[in-house]
Amino acid sequence: MHPRVLLKNRKSGRIATIDEYRQSGGYQALENAFVKNDPPPGDIREILLEARLLGRGGAGFPIGKKMATVPDNAPHPRYLVCNADEMEPGTFKDRVLIHADPHQLIEGIVLAARAIEAEIAVIFIRREYENAARILEREIQVAREAGLAGKNILGSGRDCELIVHRSAGRYICGEGTALINALEGKRANPKRPPPYPTTSGLWQQPTEVQNVETLCCVPHVISKGAPWFRSLALTESGAGTKVFSVSGRVNHPGCFELPMGIRLSELIEEHAGGMIPGSRLKACMPGGASTRIMPGSMCHVRLDYDDMEQNGYRLGTGAIMVFDHKTCLVQVAANLMTFFVRESCGWCTPCREGLPYILDLLNRIEAGQGRAEYIEMIRKMCGHMKYSYCAFAPGAVAPVQGLIEDFYAEVTAHIENQGCPFKDGQSDKNYAGSHY
Amino acid sequence: MPDLIIDNKKIRVAKGTRVIDAAESAGIYIPRFCYFAELGAVGACRVCAVKFIDGPVEGIRMSCMIEAEDGMVVSTDDAEAVDFRRHVIEWMMMNHPHDCPVCDEGGHCLLQDLTVAGGHGMRRFAGKKRTYADQYLGPLISHEENRCIQCYRCSRFYQEYCGYTDLGVMGIAQRIYFGRYKDGVLENPFSGNLIDLCPTGVYTDKPSRYTGRRWDFERTTGVCTTCSLGCSITVSARYRQVVRLEAAFSRAVNGAFICDRGRYGFSWANSENRPRQGRVAAKAMTPQKAAAAAAGRIDSLAEQYGAGAIAVAGSGRSSLETLAAWMDMCRRRSWRGFFFDDLAAAPAAPAVVSGLNPENVVSMKAVESADMILAVGADALDEAPMLALAMRQAWRAGAGVAAIDPRDLEWPFEFRQVVAAPDEIIDLLSGIEPENKIGGNAGKMAAIRDQIQRSRFPVILCGTAILDQNTVLAASGLVKQLRKNKKEARLFYTLPKANTFGGLLLDHRAKTPDELINAMESGEIKALVAVQSDLWQNCADRDRLDCALKGLEFLCAADCMATELVSRADIVVPVSSVYEAGGIYVNQEARAQWSPPAHAGGTPVRITGAGGHPPRVIGSAIPGGDMPGAWQAAWQIAGLAPPAGPGEMIEWMTKTYPVTAPVKTMAAQGVRIFPLQ
Repeated sequence: MHPRVLLKNRKSGRIATIDEYRQSGGYQALENAFVKNDPPPGDIREILLEARLLGRGGAGFPIGKKMATVPDNAPHPRYLVCNADEMEPGTFKDRVLIHADPHQLIEGIVLAARAIEAEIAVIFIRREYENAARILEREIQVAREAGLAGKNILGSGRDCELIVHRSAGRYICGEGTALINALEGKRANPKRPPPYPTTSGLWQQPTEVQNVETLCCVPHVISKGAPWFRSLALTESGAGTKVFSVSGRVNHPGCFELPMGIRLSELIEEHAGGMIPGSRLKACMPGGASTRIMPGSMCHVRLDYDDMEQNGYRLGTGAIMVFDHKTCLVQVAANLMTFFVRESCGWCTPCREGLPYILDLLNRIEAGQGRAEYIEMIRKMCGHMKYSYCAFAPGAVAPVQGLIEDFYAEVTAHIENQGCPFKDGQSDKNYAGSHY
Repeated sequence: MPDLIIDNKKIRVAKGTRVIDAAESAGIYIPRFCYFAELGAVGACRVCAVKFIDGPVEGIRMSCMIEAEDGMVVSTDDAEAVDFRRHVIEWMMMNHPHDCPVCDEGGHCLLQDLTVAGGHGMRRFAGKKRTYADQYLGPLISHEENRCIQCYRCSRFYQEYCGYTDLGVMGIAQRIYFGRYKDGVLENPFSGNLIDLCPTGVYTDKPSRYTGRRWDFERTTGVCTTCSLGCSITVSARYRQVVRLEAAFSRAVNGAFICDRGRYGFSWANSENRPRQGRVAAKAMTPQKAAAAAAGRIDSLAEQYGAGAIAVAGSGRSSLETLAAWMDMCRRRSWRGFFFDDLAAAPAAPAVVSGLNPENVVSMKAVESADMILAVGADALDEAPMLALAMRQAWRAGAGVAAIDPRDLEWPFEFRQVVAAPDEIIDLLSGIEPENKIGGNAGKMAAIRDQIQRSRFPVILCGTAILDQNTVLAASGLVKQLRKNKKEARLFYTLPKANTFGGLLLDHRAKTPDELINAMESGEIKALVAVQSDLWQNCADRDRLDCALKGLEFLCAADCMATELVSRADIVVPVSSVYEAGGIYVNQEARAQWSPPAHAGGTPVRITGAGGHPPRVIGSAIPGGDMPGAWQAAWQIAGLAPPAGPGEMIEWMTKTYPVTAPVKTMAAQGVRIFPLQ
């Protein structure tokens, strides 16, 4: 049995209350940080750095390193932003974490804010997570009344005001700099650094943006220490546990908290209950929609940021979408691309126009109207996405690039047979235009 | 001064120069859409991609977003960069309607140029095109959104640069839409610049729609004569009329933009009502015959009553040559000169010529760099619109802006206003600089005084419309005081007309229209020649003016505009406009600029053709092409032969009025002329 840290207090059908959270050891770290030991913020940052806590929003950037980019003499007010704009297809861990143990997140936020001496923390939550937003508002009030949040925390004289802000919508708000623009009431276009948000972010003040799951790890790292956190992982370079969102053709889809470095095969076969009857594992997307499709033959890899990268993949958000042998991967790629085309913010040309172009070609291939030259066109265009304005487009084409590199035969089969092999070779002769 | 290599060329540029501009300075043109110097670089279109081969930056990056640095090695024709740019253009053209044959932008279209330069001929995208519905944006700008390549220039210009919010970008992803929140006339008084800015045919000039291709037009760089700023414009003419105006680049004055009033304020020159024929009473004749008739009448009246009974009225609407000609004719013939009718609108104007000097003068573009601007009795947006735009850029960069004014000022940026009656203002000004003795209302101005004290480069704007001469001079005194205290303080006046300053330079003993009316009432004046001057324009007491004119025995108008005075004149001598004769105009910062003729003159084909084209009457002369220039009329109405041509006229003018000598050798950006010491 693997140790549960983040989902330790998870209950069926309700949140863990503040008392239950405290009973399990919660808010100890906060008390130490604000009252008992009162370590300088630099110490807190040092622990987080030593613990090798990597951002779980998709980028995998070390939180300690990001915090270190806030200059010592940076002005106030400073902001900590909790990115609860979870919209990566296949990812639902943040929602589960908020519904399971909201106080874990609240403590993580207050501690992280302390680490960069931020007085204001904003939880930017997606529109559709209305329940989670209300839970947070209610539990923040509970924490405030207990002196654990708001003004003069536990009589320390230090503040951390927590604000829940509902997004006005759209996926691109999950991009850190676009999120900041959205908070300021502007269009949610990303803003390319320099300057970085930690130097000049929300209203030109120092701002640190972190994912929900990352912040949930913080209280545990602070209270039990960096070596303990690293010891939870099954790999040398990994640290802590990860909440994996599993979906697709498995018997038990859902959220699983497992050590970093667990083998993907173990996750699928043992914890997710294996493939549903009649389905054989063909491929999966182990990092969320903005990553390469992984062939079943690679599923022995360890789910860990470093290991995945070394094998040419990305752990991303840890959203595992499992496809069986009956699933057409061209259709999967087109389906995902439809989402990305719709969610492009519209700022730069390659993403705004190039992704629909690629989608049109994919749709033609899937509809049995594809031509051989499309593959090279798609490959070229996908390659050019790295020169777009932000990381959205490169992520959007990752599944397509994976499709062409690792499932080339499946693509050519569509073209040669002028039909989808998974639909009995059906072809859509009435296909006339793009489907978005 | 970074040294870098672009396409194997060694280039040295000023620090802060973008790589895209560094390349252009070396003759290498990198494609661009969203980059526009005045709007800044945002990196949206991605078409300026180049390969950084070596140096502090490596890989394919956007040349507009990166500043040149020592040791950079850049290749604009690297194969991967070229392929990427080619794809960007293909993506932009995916949904384009390809309607060049019916699009007014064709032949002058950045998208066309870069598409062809990118080697595109055939469209291979087989999908459906995205289409939009167009909007009504007013009578001046057409909107055809299908041509849009989403470069964001219009929304950035409209909202960020100008500060107006009714037009912008809406929607998301491939459906983003550039337009107004709903159909209606655009509120931005600079919105005509959208036409110049848009690299495709989304925004095109509506009044001149379908009148021709760029190569059909005679295009000349000239000077706008609508207000005293003297912005540079490009005049397009065809078939003997001005078709449209566009902004021309002026580094010192207006940068890359002009206001709508200037852009669309030329239709008087094409009007059917414009005087094009000489008229004596009700009889039409050639301009020369009418001038001769006028000369005869003037001579006989001068004999009868004395030369002092002949008056000439002029205005700052006239070019420097015209004013010089008429002023000197008055001197020679001992006629009485009443220059200028501008003073009805700006009684304080004469003080400007003494208040402004080479030390305190500043060009409009430089005002953008001020860190504090104080506007004294100057409603920039109304009197000199582009000035308000320059003030906004200063404000955007962090400058404080304040105004002392009685009026309800509505400017597109934040400013602090002290509401004060015109006669209170001089006291308030004296409270800013502690050296001055008068206190009184100084307390009101505490915050403004503070800002000015803390500033490094304060600019005082001063209007002449509602203030008196003492206040106008006080503004100059304030700047002098500030400069004494080691500040880089500057002075910027606004004047009523394009050449008010020029006229005052020639003779600063300006006479108001009131003095002329007095003289007419007293019976001293028997004949009046109004040169490009309409006494009714700023007349507060029409009855009085009517009465005064009754005392005249002869009223003559020499004008190119259909004014009320022209309609009442006994003899009309039509003169050519600035678009036909050209002229030198001195703007409010003493800058003399030459506006060359835009076309040869004559009655527009639209009128002579009477609906049929080509015209039925074949001749060797241009119909209506015998109009004299307003300066030539001076000699003709005096019964003399004018100088042979424009060159001889300049010779004569610079000799007769030595203060104008610098215009002989002035370059394209003009030359400042101050009174001789």
